[in-house]
Amino acid sequence: MTSVYIPVQGTEEEVRVALDQLPHDASDILDILKAEQAPLHLWLIIAREYFKQGKIEQFRQILEEGSGPEIDEYYADVKYERIAILNALGAFHTFLGKVDRAPQKESHFKDATQYYNRASRIDETEPSTWIGKGQLCVAKGELQMASDSFKIVLDEDGNNFPALLGQASVYFLMGEGEQQHKKSLEHYRNSLDLYKRALRVYSNCPAAVRLGIAFCRYKLGQVEKARQAFQRVLELDPQNVDALVALAIMDLQTNEAGGIRSGMEKMKKAFEIYPYYTLALNHLANHYFFTGQHFVVEQLTETALSSSNHVLLKSHAYYNLARSYHSKGDIETAGRYYMASVNEISKPQDFVLPYIGLGQIQLKFGDLKSSLGSFEKVLEVHPENCESLKAIGHIHAKSGETEKAIETFKKVTRIDPKDHQAFVELGELLVESDWAAAMEYLKTARNLLKKAGEAVPVELLNGIGLLHFEKGEFEMAEQSFKEALGDGLWVSVMDGKVGSSMVNWSVQNKDQSFFHQLEEEGVPLELHSIKVTTLFNYARLLEELHDSVRASLFYRFIIFKYPDYIDAYLRLAAIAKQRNNVQLSIELIGDALKIDEKNPNALSMLGSLELQSDETWLTAKEHFRSAKEATKGDTYSLLQLGNWNYFAANRPEKKAPKIEATHREKAMELYQSQVLKHHRSNMFAANGIGILYAEKAKWDVAKELFTQVHEAASGSIFVHMPDVWINLAHTYFAQGHFQQAVKMYQNCLRKFFHNTDATILLYLARTHYEAERWQDCRKTLLRAIHLAPSNYLLRFNVGVSMQKFSASTLQKAKQTVDEVRATVTELQNAIRVFSLLSVASTYHSHGFDERKIETHVEYCKHLLNAAKVHRDAAEQAEQQNKQKMEVARQIALAEEARRRAEEQRKFQLERRREEDELKQVKQQEEHFERVKEQWKTSSHTPGKRKDRSKTEDEEVGNEKRRRKGIRRRKDQKTKMQYGEEEEDEYKDEPEADDDYADLARYNGADNSEKAPDHLLAAAGLDDSDAEDDMGHPQSAIERKRRAWSESEDDEPVKKPAAPPSPGADGLSE
Amino acid sequence: MKLAGLKSVDGAHEESIWAAAWAPAADHRPTAVLLTGALDETVRAWLPDDLAALGSPARGHALGVVSLAAHPAGALAAAVSLDSFIRVFDVDTGASVATLEAPPSEVWGVQFHPMGNALAAAGGGSGSVKLWDTERWQPITSLTVPRPEGARPDRTGSGKFVLSVAWSPDGKLLACGSMDGTIAIYDAVRMKFLHHLEGHHMPVRSMVFSPVDPHVLFTACDDCHIHIYDAKEKSLIGAMSGHASWVLSIDVSPDGLAVATGSSDRTVRLWDINMRTSVQTMSNHSDQVWAVAFRPPGGAGIRAGRLASASDDKSISLYDYS
Repeated sequence: MTSVYIPVQGTEEEVRVALDQLPHDASDILDILKAEQAPLHLWLIIAREYFKQGKIEQFRQILEEGSGPEIDEYYADVKYERIAILNALGAFHTFLGKVDRAPQKESHFKDATQYYNRASRIDETEPSTWIGKGQLCVAKGELQMASDSFKIVLDEDGNNFPALLGQASVYFLMGEGEQQHKKSLEHYRNSLDLYKRALRVYSNCPAAVRLGIAFCRYKLGQVEKARQAFQRVLELDPQNVDALVALAIMDLQTNEAGGIRSGMEKMKKAFEIYPYYTLALNHLANHYFFTGQHFVVEQLTETALSSSNHVLLKSHAYYNLARSYHSKGDIETAGRYYMASVNEISKPQDFVLPYIGLGQIQLKFGDLKSSLGSFEKVLEVHPENCESLKAIGHIHAKSGETEKAIETFKKVTRIDPKDHQAFVELGELLVESDWAAAMEYLKTARNLLKKAGEAVPVELLNGIGLLHFEKGEFEMAEQSFKEALGDGLWVSVMDGKVGSSMVNWSVQNKDQSFFHQLEEEGVPLELHSIKVTTLFNYARLLEELHDSVRASLFYRFIIFKYPDYIDAYLRLAAIAKQRNNVQLSIELIGDALKIDEKNPNALSMLGSLELQSDETWLTAKEHFRSAKEATKGDTYSLLQLGNWNYFAANRPEKKAPKIEATHREKAMELYQSQVLKHHRSNMFAANGIGILYAEKAKWDVAKELFTQVHEAASGSIFVHMPDVWINLAHTYFAQGHFQQAVKMYQNCLRKFFHNTDATILLYLARTHYEAERWQDCRKTLLRAIHLAPSNYLLRFNVGVSMQKFSASTLQKAKQTVDEVRATVTELQNAIRVFSLLSVASTYHSHGFDERKIETHVEYCKHLLNAAKVHRDAAEQAEQQNKQKMEVARQIALAEEARRRAEEQRKFQLERRREEDELKQVKQQEEHFERVKEQWKTSSHTPGKRKDRSKTEDEEVGNEKRRRKGIRRRKDQKTKMQYGEEEEDEYKDEPEADDDYADLARYNGADNSEKAPDHLLAAAGLDDSDAEDDMGHPQSAIERKRRAWSESEDDEPVKKPAAPPSPGADGLSE
Repeated sequence: MKLAGLKSVDGAHEESIWAAAWAPAADHRPTAVLLTGALDETVRAWLPDDLAALGSPARGHALGVVSLAAHPAGALAAAVSLDSFIRVFDVDTGASVATLEAPPSEVWGVQFHPMGNALAAAGGGSGSVKLWDTERWQPITSLTVPRPEGARPDRTGSGKFVLSVAWSPDGKLLACGSMDGTIAIYDAVRMKFLHHLEGHHMPVRSMVFSPVDPHVLFTACDDCHIHIYDAKEKSLIGAMSGHASWVLSIDVSPDGLAVATGSSDRTVRLWDINMRTSVQTMSNHSDQVWAVAFRPPGGAGIRAGRLASASDDKSISLYDYS
């Protein structure tokens, strides 16, 4: 029990004050102290005791009393104690200022400054005052001033312990605050030296001093020495939280399981000793985050937040909280805390992690710009952080800046050539522009994964497969798809192990019982959701390989497992449509629309199906419209509407020219202003416009358009546009370029239709007809009949062509017997054909007027009679001819004999003359030899050479000229190439809605890849039998009519009155 | 099960070849003979194995030959031309035996009854199958194809348009394929319509019954598919796909294990019936393959399987089938 003894004034007695029994009211003591005029150091002792007991008010009361003006006066010569009291008050206020928040902070610092100044006035050399001032400056953050204060003391007494400590801490703080690494190391080193000095001066100092040494060493990177120092601190003071936490952090940083465990134990211990230590709390939270105890994390971080003002620690705490919510999926809260964490710190260098989280969340919320900003902050600190780079690449890709995205991902692959994700991204980004590079990247990714022994993700293999698919490398594509799919029902289907008969019947019906049956048989029917797309693509591939039976089965399987997979319904509908099973196709689209009544693909497809039927073509428009609305007016649906309008303009039942014109205008508007304006290279729209121009007989414009589209379409393997071939051919035809037209029709037939399209054959025949190539016309028509047996128009046309052939043969000035015989046969055939038609019309409504046919039959019969006469005449003539020729031959023979004799004679003469000449020549030669010998040096030769060189010059000149010519031609060529390049651009921008590309790329949500063509086809130009004059340029028809009437005029015999325009319809309708 | 090309004759006709049929070996002739008909209005005969031309082309098949059928006895054959005449002729001499027509309509596919006592012809627009007896070449009957219930209206505006016929090997069933893809099945004994087979929706240009299972019918259709039906039970028991375009012709191998098809995709394919899968594709033709025909068993070289194909490219090809 310690006591102080206050001497009673004037006596030898003392008042004993037990320090642990200080009265609650400090006034009692004060009274004693004042009354007895106790020495000042006793005041101090008692005040300190109060402070130790936490009785701050009493402490203050005594000291304030002890520093009052009376005391100053009374104890004027007691310097040191007075200074000590003032300094104690100064330190007290410094402490209060350090803890409290503004604005009291300022007033405390002010008070502290005043006390220290008073102390200085008493004795300005007193070191403890300077030390106090120094500490005040430290608290105020004025490090340089603090350093100066400490220096004053140290200059006086280099071993002043508190000053040493103060100065050391100033250097340490300077090191913390220093931006430049080198300088800060310098500060730490100074700090360390001072701490060491302090330790030497006072080796029994509190453990905390060693803490300073440890921190300095730690900062200087002397990890082992730092650790030893911390441990020494703990030896001296096992309760030292700072040392515990520091050691724990060092343990954690070893990143080994053992280290982490012991680190965590230390952290927990520190937490038990002092539960408000923010750093420890943060670390604990961090730990529990990784162990997934989110509740604990929140508790810890909340405590951390409330117990610290340190920005970095708070930022850490917010980060922990955010992370916890993030991983729990509450991204909104997480986002807020990330934001709070970021707001705590002034620059990303301090703590970069929350930016990553923030960026991720912003990305998730679609705030690309902010997200980009966050990730860029990360890059400021870690310019080669692959994750952030990838995120940035992703953002670029999302915001359509493909170039930048590619650049970013390329950077990632440079930094880490093993980052398969980046390769995958690159591959996907380059798919559109650079097939080969895309393939290369995807394959690199696959190889990286394989090398690493990791499973190659289905998506990657799917992507590789698709690339092969698009390139037409079907086998490679199949391999990739198979690899992606692994084992499953599809394997047994492809092997033929699954009962093939069942496979087949399920194709026909919408029935799924086949799969139930398989299930009952115990066949595993699994289809993981990530494989669905690949299976779909595989089915697409099978379709492309014409194996629609298996393709259908796969689509059905997809529907069986995932009944909402609309694309599978649509593909099945497309297959049904290809097989002309319209009913089933419509049902399937109906199923698709039940799932999503606004699916634009389904609507478009339904529309185009309806367009083909007479009853429903009007409702088609509604479906096209809804499709347009559903897609917000994408190119495809606009095109369809345009096509519909064109189609409507040409419907036979609405022949009002006004309506027709309106529809055409509307179509033009849709093609031109709505589609072409936004997609300058849309071939389908250009084609449509071409058609509309052609209808107005603006051939040059139309041809220009068609030619361009044709070239563009020929350049792409994905575009199937037979229409433009046909349209171009039509244009050639209309302009009278029959040969080109024929070529174009034939190429189209071969390229797109396997020569199976009877309608194009009809166009071809018409061209032959117009070119008066009757036999070609006839054969072409016969081929068409063979392909389309039920098309009676073709038969009629064959009859007409044979009739025409015969008539033209008979009109010739001279005919051979064979020709006339052939004519007779042809006429007989023609009569047969016509009469068969005539009979057929009694029970068939093929739309021919019987009387018209009769006319033809009559005419042919007439021709036949004439031909027979001709034939007889020709045969007679031939007979006579033969006789005449015999006579002529005899005469010729005689003549020949005579001529031969004459020749013989001439020959003899000639020979004699030649012999004479030979002799002369010999003589001359001999003479010449002699002369030659005389010319030893020949002066003539150079002249000759000159001559030659002259000619050479000339030749060179010629060549030059020629070269010039060539160059000029080259110039022209380059010009042409420019033209081509322009068209290349045209090609290079495949329309966004090119559904074929889409379908190849993403599970082909195409409703019908050929729909546009088909529509156009349906809409007009290559129209089918019923209304095929529709698409034909009208003037062409007129031409033909004219041609026909000419032929009719040519007829030698008046024919019975016939209904208007006979025959012509045959070919043109 | 495979095909090996033996010989091809380019320019076998002056124009596209549209029909081919084997006339089986007969008493007077030890080998079968391949007959081909073309757009050049001729029918030609070829010796097997070396495809040497036999005699000169028979002319007069006006407007082009669309179908050929040989009498099982091997002496006679029938050729159908676009002028809608069926010309029955002697295979060896080329002499005309009879000229048939089925007014008012045209004629497409023809087939002789397996016993040879009747000739069936698809009557095109008349929507019926016409039958003649082969003794006196008199018409026996005309079987009308009824419209299936709830049938779709035909786009041509006409009724059924009949393209192809096939007899079952036991002569009990007669199948009749049409433009709209439906196949009518008749009881060929009682001459009664039985039912329709459904599944195709495009022209069925060629059909053949299995030689081993007289109910099984193979059909070739413009929808690129080959269907396998049980004609008696009215069920679709299989479908095979692989051709890129119309399947124009089909024939079944004498052992009944394989079918061969010709397509406008210019290929000949061989199919394994049991596996329901394409086992081989021959790409030697450069245009539509309008006819494929397995040589019937009988005569010299009976063991060797032979398949002939004829194409729009004016060539014929012979393959070894094993």
